Amino acid sequence: MSKHTIEVTVNGELRKQDVPARRMLSDFLRDDLLLTGTKRGCETGVCGACSVLVDGEVVKSCLSLAVQANGKTITTIEGLADGDTLHPLQQAFMECGGLQCGYCTPGMIMASCSILKKHPQPTVEQVQEGLNGNLCRCTGYTQIVESVMVAAEKMHGN
Amino acid sequence: MRDFEFLEPSSIEEASRMLAEAGENSRVMAGGTALMLAMRQRMLAPSTVVSVARIAALQGISFDPAQGLRIGALSRHVDVAEADVIKQQYPMLAEMAAKLANPQVRHQGTLGGNICYADPSTDPSTCLIALNAQIVLGSVRGQRMMPLERFLVDYFQTAIEQDELVVEVRVPVLPSGFRGQYRRFRKTAAEHRPLVNIAVAAQLEQDRCQQARIVVGASTPVPQRLKETEALLKNQVIDQALLKKASIAASQEVNAVSDNRASESFRREMVRVNAYRCLADTFGLPQE
Repeated sequence: MSKHTIEVTVNGELRKQDVPARRMLSDFLRDDLLLTGTKRGCETGVCGACSVLVDGEVVKSCLSLAVQANGKTITTIEGLADGDTLHPLQQAFMECGGLQCGYCTPGMIMASCSILKKHPQPTVEQVQEGLNGNLCRCTGYTQIVESVMVAAEKMHGN
Repeated sequence: MRDFEFLEPSSIEEASRMLAEAGENSRVMAGGTALMLAMRQRMLAPSTVVSVARIAALQGISFDPAQGLRIGALSRHVDVAEADVIKQQYPMLAEMAAKLANPQVRHQGTLGGNICYADPSTDPSTCLIALNAQIVLGSVRGQRMMPLERFLVDYFQTAIEQDELVVEVRVPVLPSGFRGQYRRFRKTAAEHRPLVNIAVAAQLEQDRCQQARIVVGASTPVPQRLKETEALLKNQVIDQALLKKASIAASQEVNAVSDNRASESFRREMVRVNAYRCLADTFGLPQE
């Protein structure tokens, strides 16, 4: 069936690729671009492990086609660190123990990016509401919320 | 997911011709959140997907004091939630959109797509029917407008024709003395789909309720106007006793369904509880 040539800026780099219409964005990132930081979890739009930023806003890449991203800018978990310097959210998740098995973490951090963009100094309720589309089966969420609050404080202080 | 032909028309006319040619085994895609889910689970397997995402005529939100609100079909839920004009003029609509599903869906899913998909367990249509919204449909044959209340026919079924697109949603200017509230009930805070939702749009003159539109959704195949309950409030001075009576009437009038999410009797009870709370919020009375 139909094939499409798409041009997508992923983590600052313009990528041009032929994809079949049915290629999901999550599969395009992982299998075509080998950016395996973005996880496939439920693949039914529930767990949020596949969350990435499209034009700066968090979406679930398992519910998007790669062709829908044509001409757009995508940020994945691989695009957050500056060389060896972790993004404040990554640093905070590490220091606060905002993860156990780590499978949900890329999605949690991408959703958190979106929260902090909208609310640079969020309340706990705003963080909880912003993570409403992401599931974690290990932590119980307390330390995830704490991680986002700590990162917000650091980023706002800078 | 089965493979398909993916088309990207740039105008309503082009999309309309493509849909007419592709026939019944085609689907329109806007944000795609619901469609992708249905296709991944093979509930739908269209041979042609017509993406309307690049049609400029379906975009934008504007307000005119005489004409009211126009929401382009491609407006995402986050656009509805954050548009200043909606927050100011139709706060119940902005608040509904701000808490719909989850942030990822709000950033991608569109109002037009949501309405056309006609999934009963969602928020916008209940709220919009209370506000007496109209829907504008476009095709090569021109445009037509109908009340949203008539557009939604049954579970996942609308009055749209094969070659038509939803162009925009229009909401009339609210009368003076308008009061309105939208309320959703979910079984747990983590759920994304309401089990019951209710919207009230009333017009007050001093203490008297001139008229009220009361709509219940998510428990019925399509959102339902509760006209008998509305009649109880018409030309009445509102107090808690009357709202209690109205909320019991609402729970009896609603055509609640039983399914694997909840029984009919539980839904009726939740309609009663939430109807009271929504009405109390609307008229500024205490929550029992």
